[in-house]
Amino acid sequence: MDRKLTYETKGLNLVLKELSAFFTGIAKNNFTVEFFTVFVPIIILWEALPRLGVVPPTLVPPPSVVAETFWDLLVNHDLIGHVGISLLRFFLGLAVAIVTAIPIGILMGWNMFLRRHALPLFQILAPIPSPAWVPITIILLGIGLPMQVFLVFLGVFYPVLFDTYQGVKDTDPRYIASARVFGASELTLIKRVYLPNALSFIVMGVKIGIALGLVMLIVSEMVGAHSGIGWLLVESKDFFRIDRMVACMLTLGFIGWFLIEVMKYIEIKLALWKVGR
Amino acid sequence: MIEARKITKFFPVINPQGLAEGITAVLSVSLKVEEGEFVAVVGPTGCGKSTFLEIMAGLQAPTEGEVYIDGKLVLEPLPSTRKEIEIYQRKYRFLSPIANDLWRDIPKSDIAMIFQDYAVFPWMTALENVFFTLTLRRVPKGERSYLARKYLNLVGLSGAENKYPSQLSGGMRQRVALARALSVEPKIILMDEPFAAVDALAREKLNEDLLSIWQSMKKTIVFVTHDINEALYLADRVVVFSPQPGTVRNIIPVNLPRPRKRASREIGELRERIWQIYQYDATGEIIDYVI
Ligand SMILES: Nc1ncnc2c1ncn2[C@@H]1O[C@H](COP(=O)(O)OP(=O)(O)OP(=O)(O)O)[C@@H](O)[C@H]1O
Ligand SMILES: [Mg+2]
Repeated sequence: MDRKLTYETKGLNLVLKELSAFFTGIAKNNFTVEFFTVFVPIIILWEALPRLGVVPPTLVPPPSVVAETFWDLLVNHDLIGHVGISLLRFFLGLAVAIVTAIPIGILMGWNMFLRRHALPLFQILAPIPSPAWVPITIILLGIGLPMQVFLVFLGVFYPVLFDTYQGVKDTDPRYIASARVFGASELTLIKRVYLPNALSFIVMGVKIGIALGLVMLIVSEMVGAHSGIGWLLVESKDFFRIDRMVACMLTLGFIGWFLIEVMKYIEIKLALWKVGR
Repeated sequence: MIEARKITKFFPVINPQGLAEGITAVLSVSLKVEEGEFVAVVGPTGCGKSTFLEIMAGLQAPTEGEVYIDGKLVLEPLPSTRKEIEIYQRKYRFLSPIANDLWRDIPKSDIAMIFQDYAVFPWMTALENVFFTLTLRRVPKGERSYLARKYLNLVGLSGAENKYPSQLSGGMRQRVALARALSVEPKIILMDEPFAAVDALAREKLNEDLLSIWQSMKKTIVFVTHDINEALYLADRVVVFSPQPGTVRNIIPVNLPRPRKRASREIGELRERIWQIYQYDATGEIIDYVI
């Protein structure tokens, strides 16, 4: 009992430590004086121009109005719920894409035989712009979670697949040779040589995948959902609520930015050896 | 015992005019290295020493010829006729002939190799690098940590165990490679210019250490170097390669008792002899009676 407790506090401490390191890192790297010298004037201009009547306030809602609308969405229109359902769709698609693309990419990069069989197929499918899949997906999967998840998956899959493949394929043959002399099996090579070598490529692929996945999330919600931020955006358009649209767009921007920051943090944690010098 | 029989290695290359050409890196090299022998290989740069060593390690298939380690064929030579090529491609359709087992860590033969450019893994610390090779050779878990530290100490890397290769100097990286090769206690060690990146003093120290390891553990060593003095100081026999295409130009036995003196007259004479061979190969000029 006693021991379990100490483990728990230890784990909690560790999590708290990582979290504080993460947020300090974000603050240090982003909210610099240089950033504010650009950001503050933009905000002031944005507020002043509509108020002074230089641009019509009906078309350009100033930040104070956007903030009010944001609060209104939060309190009266279940913004949290919409963000939550959007994130659920997004993360499901992201997870499915990552757990399929990374192993396939590794196998294609590692083995010539498999590469010859699989790569041409993906090279033909990948150039199809992901939004082009929307109509057929709606017909095949109907409107709902499977369709939204599949579309997000499509956005994330190819960048992760090709970056993993490239990272594995470009492993320096010297490293492979030096592991082989000592008797490394192919499985060991994959685990201890190819994968660590490809890691930063994979993280890069996931970053691109996150960006494209968000695009696909919004596309799928605009055409086939009754909830989520994408749906909220379209609905705001129907009611001509530009302030709501801006609030939704900023929320999306924030989500994307935050996820990329998380990926950067993960990259540093995983590829510690690259930071050395 | 290593026995290389008429090893030839041909590389197809595309020349700047866009035409297919080829270079013969190694031409019909035969070499027998007895159990417990220390053989040095010297030769001008680009003469195929590294290629020859990799063929012996089973990391490249020879175009012709075979290498036997303790009577066991390392790699079959590459196919030459169209029919042979078809059979070869079918046989190695899924896994390259150079690969070991798919799942289990088994080396082709009990050798370790030190590469010219170290090839230590940048994503592992010095200690993890040594640990990794120990794991590959199925050293019991309990002994790994002890052995890894022991060999890192031996090459003078105590204190740098937890550094990544990018944080080490070139010479230190080379020592990690050395520790990695020694730690698995192989019967045969192939070394490709292992001390090229360390200063003269450290190199002498490493030479001494290598000799004492070789003498105490009775290993078979093939040692490629640019440094004729080093070769003569260490080896039982010095194999002199000719310029490209690499062939065995001469094999010079060094029948001097150990410990040897680097500045001794006998070593000086042998060095002069190798120099004259080099000179003759480079300029065609006979300075003195050669061979
Ligand atoms: N994969 C390859 N493809 C084409 N040519 C190659 C290849 N590997 C080696 N060569 C050529 O074979 C020749 C011998 O190379 P090798 O690396 O064995 O020389 P070396 O004797 O080790 O030289 P050094 O003393 O500079 O290390 C060189 O001319 C090189 O250009
Ligand atoms: Mg070389």
